[in-house]
Amino acid sequence: MNVIYVGVGEYEVSKTPGEIVKTLALGSCVAVVILDPKNKLVGLLHVALPESSINKKRAMERPGMFADTGIPKLLDEIKKFGYDGKGGLIVKLAGGASIMDPNNTFNIGKRNVLAIRKILWRFRLGAIAEDVRGNISRSVSVDMNTGKVIVTSPGRGEWEL
Amino acid sequence: MSIIEQITQRIKEHPLPSMVAFEILRTIEDEDHSLKDVVKLVENDASLTSEILKMANSAAYYRGQPVTTISRSVLLMGEMMVVGVAICVSTSIIYQRPLDGYESPEGELWDHSLRSAIACRELAKFTKGKVNPGLAFTAGLLHDIGKSIISEFLVGSTKEMTDLCASREAADYIEAERRAVGTDHCEVGYTLVQEWGLPEMLCLALRDHHHPSKTENQYKHLVYTVHLGDIISMLGGAGTGSDSLAYTVDNEYEKYLNIQKDELSLILLKVEEDFTELKETLMS
Repeated sequence: MNVIYVGVGEYEVSKTPGEIVKTLALGSCVAVVILDPKNKLVGLLHVALPESSINKKRAMERPGMFADTGIPKLLDEIKKFGYDGKGGLIVKLAGGASIMDPNNTFNIGKRNVLAIRKILWRFRLGAIAEDVRGNISRSVSVDMNTGKVIVTSPGRGEWEL
Repeated sequence: MSIIEQITQRIKEHPLPSMVAFEILRTIEDEDHSLKDVVKLVENDASLTSEILKMANSAAYYRGQPVTTISRSVLLMGEMMVVGVAICVSTSIIYQRPLDGYESPEGELWDHSLRSAIACRELAKFTKGKVNPGLAFTAGLLHDIGKSIISEFLVGSTKEMTDLCASREAADYIEAERRAVGTDHCEVGYTLVQEWGLPEMLCLALRDHHHPSKTENQYKHLVYTVHLGDIISMLGGAGTGSDSLAYTVDNEYEKYLNIQKDELSLILLKVEEDFTELKETLMS
């Protein structure tokens, strides 16, 4: 089975039956999965940070790094693959973990999740399933045949989102 | 033989990495050493010579003109970074092994260690000159080496350890490891590098990187730098399997590193950028 790996700050869209779209070891990063059941499309984005204003040059080079530049790019890409813009998209989120941090300085995971929800809302979208936060690292894969989104974490097995 | 005795045995049997890295370390510890002493040690090792030249000509150091000599490379990179490269060259095989006890595949420890090393090098810049960036790089590279030994003894206990952390019965993964086998990866790494005769500050950076407040006062800047470098690497997604993120930030770091939230995010980006290039440089 062909596996498409999505690296940090990257996004991929697939409409090929039999493919698996996968992203590894999310940490505080978040996987944004967008499914278009009508056109049998899957898009996956691996967001690292909430806002592109922190490094605009990097955002130009790799827009998928940031929630505010990555989500519009993923939606554009989904349209290129055949999404008709008439709704029916399903969004799922996984990741956004944190280290245990009494002062909340390292809450990049939480800030990522909040920024992603906000940007999705701007596009009239909201996640129907989330497996976010906590102190665990997750990997995410989407099976193009079934549309199932599977989350795995070392030592904790796997579960469907 | 008890598990502790078996681990101690493994530490004693562990192959020594190429000694050139440690010879350079010992040389530069002597305040009266000269550049020539370091250059000679590097030039006596053909593979290290080639790696140092590759690194000096990589984008991270390139200043518009090709670097063709080791002396120029050492001046450009700094002596401690030369030690870091020497350790990379001699230990990459140890780091490539999978960590079955952490359900961590082949190569993940290497990726985590390299990313931590880059993060530590960047964080050192926020210690007001108290930590040499090359030393921080080396400490970051070595900090989790104990996992390469303890991992096999943790096989079969992984779920039990993650459950202990999830239920908060164990304060962190260090405590979970101690409950499973009576010691932890920090203690094992510390004992290993002590056997190798590394300087005390590097040994303590390994032993105390998850609980930096307990380290010797004069080394706290370095140990807190490694503490944060490890965390940045884990947050960026490069952990080593089941223990990733199951630790607590020691906020006393603010006494030793003057760094703000946005700067931490920028380091996370920098690590992501430099990692690919550094890995390619070292592996090519």
